[in-house]
Amino acid sequence: MAEDLDTRLDAIYDAVLAYEAGRAAELVRQETARGTGCQQILTDALIAAMDEVGDQFAEGRLFVPEMLMAAKAMKAGLEVLRPLLSATDAKPIGTIVIGTVHKDLHDIGKNLVGMMMEGGGLKVIDLGVDVPPDRFLAAAQEHRPDVIGLSALLTTTMPNMRKTVDMLRGVGYNGRIMVGGAPVNAAFAEAIGADGFAPDAPGAVKLARKFIGAADA
Amino acid sequence: MRARAVALLDRHGVAVNHPQAVERLRAAGCRVDAGDKRVRIPAELTTEAVAAAPRSITLCGKDPRHDLRLPRADGTFWMRTGTGAHGFIEPHTSAYRKLVLDDVRTIATLADTLSEVGFIAHPFVNGVPEVTADVHGLGTLLAYSTKHNWIQPYGTENIAYLLRLAALTAGGEAALRARPIVSCIVCSFTPLEFKTMDVEALIQCARLGVPIHACSLPTAGGTAPVTMPGTVLMAVAEILAMVVLAHVLGPGTPVIATPLIFCLDMRSGRSLQSSVEALAGASMAVQVMKRGFGLPTHTYGAGSDTPDIDGQSQAERALIAFLVGLAGADVLGGVGQLECATVFSPVQAVIDNELGAMARNYLRTAAIDDESLAWDDLLKLDPGGNFLATEHTLRHCRTGFAPAAFTRQARDAYEAAGRRDLAAQARDMLDGILRAHPARPVVDAATEAEMRRVIAGADAKIAG
Ligand code: B12
Repeated sequence: MAEDLDTRLDAIYDAVLAYEAGRAAELVRQETARGTGCQQILTDALIAAMDEVGDQFAEGRLFVPEMLMAAKAMKAGLEVLRPLLSATDAKPIGTIVIGTVHKDLHDIGKNLVGMMMEGGGLKVIDLGVDVPPDRFLAAAQEHRPDVIGLSALLTTTMPNMRKTVDMLRGVGYNGRIMVGGAPVNAAFAEAIGADGFAPDAPGAVKLARKFIGAADA
Repeated sequence: MRARAVALLDRHGVAVNHPQAVERLRAAGCRVDAGDKRVRIPAELTTEAVAAAPRSITLCGKDPRHDLRLPRADGTFWMRTGTGAHGFIEPHTSAYRKLVLDDVRTIATLADTLSEVGFIAHPFVNGVPEVTADVHGLGTLLAYSTKHNWIQPYGTENIAYLLRLAALTAGGEAALRARPIVSCIVCSFTPLEFKTMDVEALIQCARLGVPIHACSLPTAGGTAPVTMPGTVLMAVAEILAMVVLAHVLGPGTPVIATPLIFCLDMRSGRSLQSSVEALAGASMAVQVMKRGFGLPTHTYGAGSDTPDIDGQSQAERALIAFLVGLAGADVLGGVGQLECATVFSPVQAVIDNELGAMARNYLRTAAIDDESLAWDDLLKLDPGGNFLATEHTLRHCRTGFAPAAFTRQARDAYEAAGRRDLAAQARDMLDGILRAHPARPVVDAATEAEMRRVIAGADAKIAG
């Protein structure tokens, strides 16, 4: 039975909200097979679902692991689209390189931000913890990310954020840099020449999408 | 829980990022695959290490009147100030700002006078090179307080400088060994791993006879299982691993079991130290380490997740103090700390001192005998009689707890005084304390100058 497009996109949206990665991927596959535009599936089903997830999380209705499971389902759908998206002239979703700065091993917050970014449709390259500036640099050159996210939880390692920013700017990296972590704030971000700060994971995703210029951000 | 913790170390083991330590653990009977850092600890070794660990520990004050014996003779606890805070709440304006070296002097002087605070930890100091902030913080604490101090190193290279400062203050390494005026935190890197820095701290402390606080900070739902028993198991296993490390690398080193249990708030993703689950976990872990393994214990016994000295803060810290006190903790940490261990408030520290005193009085349960039952008076009681002016009441009228910050005013007096609340009262007490005790170095000028040289050396070498 030929349901209408809206109903089918809703089904993808529902699969994400039900954390069903397999079903989300399968429905996206069927939809592309029907010839529906990738950009439409992405925007109207997958990203729309994650926006809803973000809202529900902000309102305290959805909990962290639920949000992350939804993000996984979103990512499963996105993986189906990714090769098709790059083959067409569809607007790329954006890439972020993220890591915890040199000498800092705290990664719970960074991981949360990374997983949420994936849920927000970004391609995430996670460099892990204790990442020296030159590894950020190498990743910047290799992946040409739209955004680089630096995390630090120790006041002792905050200077390594500055070093990383200096080094990236020094070689002419012209994407955006955002910083975060418990002792970090907007004033510090500005002082070290980063482009922005977010206090939590949903805020980080919003900021990244603003940087990338996602239409719906 | 005890059996599972020992089994986890035996079957899963811990990763130790310190090749020499791994070698010595292997020599002591641990199973290590070639080229691997994963150390599986046989149950017998854990049992042996626990049996050999000191049951009672003395943390010496610079002034011997401030020596602390753990467990405390009356069966209660000592408190210690919060560590690692980078923010400071101004006593009078309640404004938040970065914590600076001057604030460490305030903390040192204040904590020296607080009756329940046994020892003092250094917060994070802004305005000095970040990477040597621990050296600056400890230097100031050592120079301005007469109580025992707690070291929290921020880097492997810093450990030697921190211990050198302690030895200088104590009057040399032998004097430090004889009277350890400092103790040091050694942390696991949850889950089930140990960083180079912490193993190195353990080795260097053991060499000088400096007691260690074997600290595990699992985050339920983050680095540890979301269900509290699983998180407690993680903490217990990691602390036992540190007992084994101490036994192998520095036999006889005093080890204080220090579970600091955190929760990841499933709704916001924030780190919490005072959620109901975190409190239940801390109480559980303390009971396992203390009653189950017989070791002295230390956990948060103050502290709140709210950023301010508000009602939530008082409720959370009262709950913690009583719960972990009842569980048997020997040291209650976190005096003055707010916003999940990132902020220090001296006003809150004054209130914490009072809450701690209350909890201790509560825990010192009265013996049940003829005197406490007032048996003779009861037998002699006339109809319509009372206890207002009996010899028995006179004998005991001062044994009840007399709060200094809590109000017991009636409405009229309360209104007349301008409805002053607990924080206002604590603020006045703080002002009084700081007026009466201006920050003054407790070490002689030559020692202070030598300490300054050590700190400058650390700056040049580490911050260089
Ligand atoms: C858990 C924890 C640990 C764990 C870390 C486990 C892990 N795998 O991450 C362990 C036990 C290993 C640890 C070790 C240490 N820790 Co620690 N730790 C904490 C604790 C309690 C919670 C941190 C946390 O996980 N929060 C939960 C996450 C979800 O929140 P978050 O990280 O802030 O992230 C959120 C936001 O900040 C933001 N965000 C984060 N990153 C990014 C990045 C970007 C780009 C953006 C936009 C946003 C963003 O979004 C996140 C999600 O909402 C904090 C106290 C605190 N309240 O922060 C101390 C704390 C940070 N640690 C501290 C210290 C001192 C240490 C040690 C030196 C202790 C020691 N002696 O070993 C070591 C250092 C190890 C090292 N070299 O890194 C101090 C720091 C003091 C200071 N001001 O510098 C603190 C404040 C505790 C204290 N009072 O002493 N720690």
